[in-house]
Amino acid sequence: MSLSYPLSLASSGTTLVPSSVSTTTRTGKPISDSETFTYPREYNFPPFFTLQRISSTSHAQSQKWSSLIQSYCRFHRLFKLSLIDAVSSPLFHNARINKRLELNDAREMVEFMRKEGRAEWIGSGKGDERRNTAWIWWRNPEEWANAIAEWVEETGQKNTVLTLYELTESDITVSQEFHGMDPEVLQKALSTLVKRGKAQVFGQEDQQGVKFF
Amino acid sequence: MSRKGVGLAAFDRSRITSAQYASHGNNLRSSHSTSIATQLSVFRSLLQQFAQTHAKDIRSNPSFRAEFARMCAAIGVDPLASSSGAGGKDGGGSFWAQMLGGSVNDFYFELAVRVVEVCGATREENGGFIGVKEVKDRIMSTRMEGGAEITDDDILRAVNTLKPLGSSYSTLIVGHKTYIRSIPKELNTDQSAVLEAAQLLGYVSVSMLILNLRWPRARAKTAIDDLVSESMLWVDKQSDEWEYWSPGFMLEVDNGNAG
Repeated sequence: MSLSYPLSLASSGTTLVPSSVSTTTRTGKPISDSETFTYPREYNFPPFFTLQRISSTSHAQSQKWSSLIQSYCRFHRLFKLSLIDAVSSPLFHNARINKRLELNDAREMVEFMRKEGRAEWIGSGKGDERRNTAWIWWRNPEEWANAIAEWVEETGQKNTVLTLYELTESDITVSQEFHGMDPEVLQKALSTLVKRGKAQVFGQEDQQGVKFF
Repeated sequence: MSRKGVGLAAFDRSRITSAQYASHGNNLRSSHSTSIATQLSVFRSLLQQFAQTHAKDIRSNPSFRAEFARMCAAIGVDPLASSSGAGGKDGGGSFWAQMLGGSVNDFYFELAVRVVEVCGATREENGGFIGVKEVKDRIMSTRMEGGAEITDDDILRAVNTLKPLGSSYSTLIVGHKTYIRSIPKELNTDQSAVLEAAQLLGYVSVSMLILNLRWPRARAKTAIDDLVSESMLWVDKQSDEWEYWSPGFMLEVDNGNAG
């Protein structure tokens, strides 16, 4: 379950050596508070915070932002990113070198991620209002679905009924990466499993259960 | 020693002498060649022995490796070039490839693959122009713990092994730094001067060039714009005057802020 993500991450950054050794040991477990997020080297590079206008440079920059945003959200277990709040957070504001990514530029980066399938705008309205909040798919619903299905398989829980609460909040999944995940993302993930005929969801709003096949 | 002969017999005599000279010459030649062959085989086996016993050192100890490479160069042997020669395919590569195959050659070839990977992965951000030190740091940072250490010298040798492929990889010195260029592109003197200036602080600005190089504004602007359009400089607009940063500086800034 842990392999698919690090590989896809690797394609956006340095691609030298499978970094799965260090990455896989970290997946699964929710990261403890004592660890601090390690920013990539470009985070301290002043022009990183100015949108580059030359297409190849800009592409390299967007890929670096995409990978930074994904790993930042993954580390802090953020599923939704509000750009208006985020522009004053350390993600988009490097206080040490006093550079920040402007809201509009942050939008462009997330838009780049949307095209990559790593983000999805949430929101209605016109123009930029629509582009204030986004799902950040450091794992997309499909990948979450696979992780859950794999866990169900491994623990031999096919054909048993689990409540959604059990799936994400109880002790039995505490070692899994999907433990504590956003309920809306969980719904999306489960619905892809339902579409594939691998699960069935039933029950009411807060009393939902799921059965895996 | 020979008397000047008169008459027909002299012809015979001279034929005999020259035949004797010839056969003696042949003897000398063949004895020479056998002794040289012996020397060569002794030398070969010794060098092989040396390479084998020290294979580990050659791979793991950068200064030892550099010394070995220098020794080979001093006795007129290039372990890298000779291995790429058209050696007997049936015998599993050339003489040197067989001899050093497990150690020196493979080391540099593997390294060359890494260099190509780094250059490819960073081409968009630096326009195919990257410092040897950055390449080395990137390769080192992705190596496993306890992996063999590599030096700038190793990187340069590895780049040289790419030559027979007819690839566009070459090295180039600007200022006090050596760069690897992975796409064929010439720098004009103004562009080199700008890159050299950017080595000092990591960035340049138009007014810095006007002040320090005494260039007219248009010249400074053109040189910078050219480099920007080649991805060799990144612009930072969040300062009083726009600053143009060398992408190679991404690593160095990072070093100052571990944590």
